[in-house]
Amino acid sequence: MERFVLMNSGPSQPRPATQHLRRNPPIAGEEEAIEKARNGDARAFETLYAMHKRRVYSLCLRMLGNVAEAEDLTQEAFLQLYRKIGTFRGDSAFSTWLHRLAVNVVLMHLRRKGLPQVSLEETLEPSQDDGPRKDIGARDLTLSGSIDRVTLERAIENLPPGYRLVFVLHDVEGYEHNEIAEMLDCSIGNSKSQLHKARMKLRDLLHTGQRKEQIA
Amino acid sequence: MSVVRVMEKTMTCAEFQETLPELFEAHADLNAHEHLRSCENCAALVRDLEYIASQAKLLLPMHDPSPAVWDNIQQAIRRSPNPPASQAGRK
Repeated sequence: MERFVLMNSGPSQPRPATQHLRRNPPIAGEEEAIEKARNGDARAFETLYAMHKRRVYSLCLRMLGNVAEAEDLTQEAFLQLYRKIGTFRGDSAFSTWLHRLAVNVVLMHLRRKGLPQVSLEETLEPSQDDGPRKDIGARDLTLSGSIDRVTLERAIENLPPGYRLVFVLHDVEGYEHNEIAEMLDCSIGNSKSQLHKARMKLRDLLHTGQRKEQIA
Repeated sequence: MSVVRVMEKTMTCAEFQETLPELFEAHADLNAHEHLRSCENCAALVRDLEYIASQAKLLLPMHDPSPAVWDNIQQAIRRSPNPPASQAGRK
């Protein structure tokens, strides 16, 4: 199987049956809407769209940083949902299942665009890029309290796709590493490694932004 | 001082940073880590990474897609020859 962003290096561990309920609590009326949509009820499918469009669109927008592309992929994700909803068996939360579907749509899109592959096989050895910067003075050593939402969103946009995907799924969307590993067909260790590198890279981007602001 | 404390104190920055992903995952009390008591660089790194993770949790939700997205989905569904219930994977 061809993979764009992530490389599999081992099986993922089974997910506790109730874990997804913490972050994805059942939505009132969702189960009924799913069942009706599986039977071709257009109104029920519209209900599912209304329930989940924001999170799917947010995921696409954060991954792509482009409204037009994010809307195209949101559309594609829900069309795939329409075609595949009959295969949903309830083994995981519906939103997790839908997000997995949306992530695959995003990965396919990135692959078509030919963006560079980011391997999860890299070691955690601190490097010049990832480690704490030695040239940062004591006064601006820490970011705490200084980053607003827009700045953080912009820094996330500048992460390499592989880092960005795991960071968005874990730190923004709240998925656990075993869920991400399942979604992305990679090992839990790789997901953890990618998240750490993403945070390190974000720190670097945010500090660089701060220094530029100070110079300006 | 316990063996663990002595090991933490004698860690290099590289050794400490190698353990960081697991320490975060374990929700360890990093303030009590011996290495951080004597290393301002790593202490700042930990503060930053914790801050980034905490700020990221505040980013949801974003905006809705434009109404045109649903219009396009509806049009595509009307053209679709296969309603969901006819999918082969349905059990």
